Amino acid sequence: MGKLDNFKRSLWVFHASGGSCNACDIEIVAALTPRYDVERFGIKLVGSPRHADVLLVTGAIPRDFADKLRRVYEQMPEPKAVVVVGNCGTSGGVFYDSYNIAGPIDEIIPVDVYVPGCPPRPEAIIDAVVKAWLKVEKLEKKLEGKEE
Amino acid sequence: MSFTLLSGSGFWNPLLWLALLVFFALIGYIIYSRGNPSYKPNTDQVMPFLSGNVEPSKEKVQVKAGDIYWGFVEALKGYYKVLTAIHTGDMRDYILWYLGVGSIILFLLVGGA
Repeated sequence: MGKLDNFKRSLWVFHASGGSCNACDIEIVAALTPRYDVERFGIKLVGSPRHADVLLVTGAIPRDFADKLRRVYEQMPEPKAVVVVGNCGTSGGVFYDSYNIAGPIDEIIPVDVYVPGCPPRPEAIIDAVVKAWLKVEKLEKKLEGKEE
Repeated sequence: MSFTLLSGSGFWNPLLWLALLVFFALIGYIIYSRGNPSYKPNTDQVMPFLSGNVEPSKEKVQVKAGDIYWGFVEALKGYYKVLTAIHTGDMRDYILWYLGVGSIILFLLVGGA
């Protein structure tokens, strides 16, 4: 794993939950509790994708939610990264091949980091967010024309 | 030639005004040029976030000033239906109404005498 070159700004994360059983969502919230407290590193959940650097997606995505998820992704400013939390979003999980599921999330929007698990532990989610942060930094350098 | 106009409450100089305008326009441009270069106008990126839903048309979501009277209009819709129909916006119609109603009143007041 690489290292973060700088902490010039906080990493803001937007959480989109589509058809999740809530287990992954609770583990995301657990990462914010005093035990893990990711906010001390500036990682915080925000209420709008317009403010977010990273999109966390949980759950198998129902057909009706697919275009909404696509719109949420489009509304995020560049540079951005997507993290899929849990088996359902990664592969469909127990809903694999279900008639009302739009498919794994990477068939709807581009995904950068996958966190398998049912649900994954908060440590795994934090690790994925840091990986997404590295990706965002890399993209930011590219946008600024400072690519290595 | 002096461009300064003095008055009791201050002064006005168009050259100074122009210089300040250029100065603030320059500051505005500097702020603008430091903005996010990846900003994409005319995409979903600039649309309001409504939980991923499409933004409804303004007609569907805007509360008009006339909506304040909705209760009255709904309760008296029989009356409003007639009243709206006779409000044609044509001045000739209004003059005809004026003359018609005026002659009826005149007939009632002095017609029998």
